[in-house]
Amino acid sequence: MIDPALYDLARDRIAANGFTPEIQTKITLLLCTAKNGNLMFHSSVQWMQNLNVVQQFILSQYSRELEAVTLLSRTTQWSKDPALALEGSRIVAPLMMAWGQIMLPPGPMLNPQATYRGISLGHAQLARIRLTPVIPDNADPLNPFVVALQRIEQENGRMLQTQIRLLKNIGTEIPIEEREALVEQDQELVDSVFSQFLSWLAAG
Amino acid sequence: MPTIQYGHHQVHYELSGDPGQPVITFLNGLTQNANLWKSYADYFVPRGYRVLAYDMLGQGRSSKPVIDIKLAMHADMLDSLLEQLGIEKTHLASISFGGIIALDFAIRYGHRLHSLTAMSTFAELTPQLDLLGAVMLQGLADAGLPYLQSMLYPMNMSSAWIAANRERIPAMKRAGYIGNDGYAMQNLMESFVEFQPLTPELHKIKVPTLIMNGEFDFFTPRECHEVIRSKVKNSRLLIMQHAYHAFTLEMPAVTMRQLEVFLDQVTAGTWQGDQSVWIASDDPAAETQWLPCAGDWMRAVHIGTATPASTPARRKSPTRKKTT
Repeated sequence: MIDPALYDLARDRIAANGFTPEIQTKITLLLCTAKNGNLMFHSSVQWMQNLNVVQQFILSQYSRELEAVTLLSRTTQWSKDPALALEGSRIVAPLMMAWGQIMLPPGPMLNPQATYRGISLGHAQLARIRLTPVIPDNADPLNPFVVALQRIEQENGRMLQTQIRLLKNIGTEIPIEEREALVEQDQELVDSVFSQFLSWLAAG
Repeated sequence: MPTIQYGHHQVHYELSGDPGQPVITFLNGLTQNANLWKSYADYFVPRGYRVLAYDMLGQGRSSKPVIDIKLAMHADMLDSLLEQLGIEKTHLASISFGGIIALDFAIRYGHRLHSLTAMSTFAELTPQLDLLGAVMLQGLADAGLPYLQSMLYPMNMSSAWIAANRERIPAMKRAGYIGNDGYAMQNLMESFVEFQPLTPELHKIKVPTLIMNGEFDFFTPRECHEVIRSKVKNSRLLIMQHAYHAFTLEMPAVTMRQLEVFLDQVTAGTWQGDQSVWIASDDPAAETQWLPCAGDWMRAVHIGTATPASTPARRKSPTRKKTT
């Protein structure tokens, strides 16, 4: 579980300084990395055989992740500081590595274990990376970046239904204990990245 | 952070009080966690009890499985928790979702109980509850956790409480949003898909059983508690005056006092499980805490005998200020 105090520290920092370009850049770096990983996975599995109705959900999620990345990128007031990109890359590196492992040849389309891992990691990201608690009460509700964050988070909750249904019902030979362990492992990975990220956000 | 291992899951718990004292175990409602029983621990520990509270699977700091939790697993897990903590027997007090788990536990693990308290709960899904559950699940899936939180405040609490806490509610919702996970809650709710009514098994509950129901609880109304009262011979139904669904949170002092009265009776051997119906005093300091319920406890109105001279009872409406 992510320490609730980390959310409070990040929120207090934003309340004091506002959504500065630095804060917006940090948030966008994290969210875009997470969403690009999930996007890449979905673009890879959308032509798998026998998906039937699931194909529509996968294509839909792919499109919505693409929309979220676009929305964030165009509403963000970007910082010019390259050090932010370097530090951001360091923090999100475990996520990039995990998506990289999933996409290793032969790729999730031909590797059931990687398919399940991709669904599990996507679930952990959509479920655990939640930024609305860092939006302070004094934030302008019409600020385009704030509006984008709120819309993306609400959409994440809806998109998550695809992962929930697939994790519960997908035909797989992986035993349930192993599947649960995999899901928990991905949650811990995301929690660790997101905890570090919140500390970074609070540090200013 | 004290935890036990249950299979590959971690279960977080809080246990306070001196070893050797009788234990009261509290079971949470759906969106609650172990922290919410802290004031109960502060009340009962100085009175010679140990208090155990824990986050069920899917709640708070315990593991939050995505794939599957069978409803029966919760009672099995409680048995394992007690075993691992070396607690042979416990008093069990539970609310709402936790109440179902407690009833299941009392049916299958009754030998581990001194007593059972079932608050704001049900043994079977009435058609109304079935639809309410479906609406809650749909709201959670389609609109998200903040929607469900917003929906639950007016379903759980009175207007008076909401009016008094209106400014604090956004902060409480934020804390709940951080501490809960929508998917884990959804998983708990979906475990009801295979839920079989406990009613046919309720006669197996032999321990002293106090059933507590809020006077104005429209979430789990009287009919839900009446099913339990009518099937558990060693029971009494206690109606909490002016209370809604979440009276453990809204009126903790009154609730703790009623629990204390019950536990004292069980401990002293004076408890009489006669399926009678009582009304709880709303003053924890009152000398008499339980008043016998006269009339039909299933009805919200009391019908007098009509006579030509009789007139309806009148009561002055609250004075309303004119607004300009």
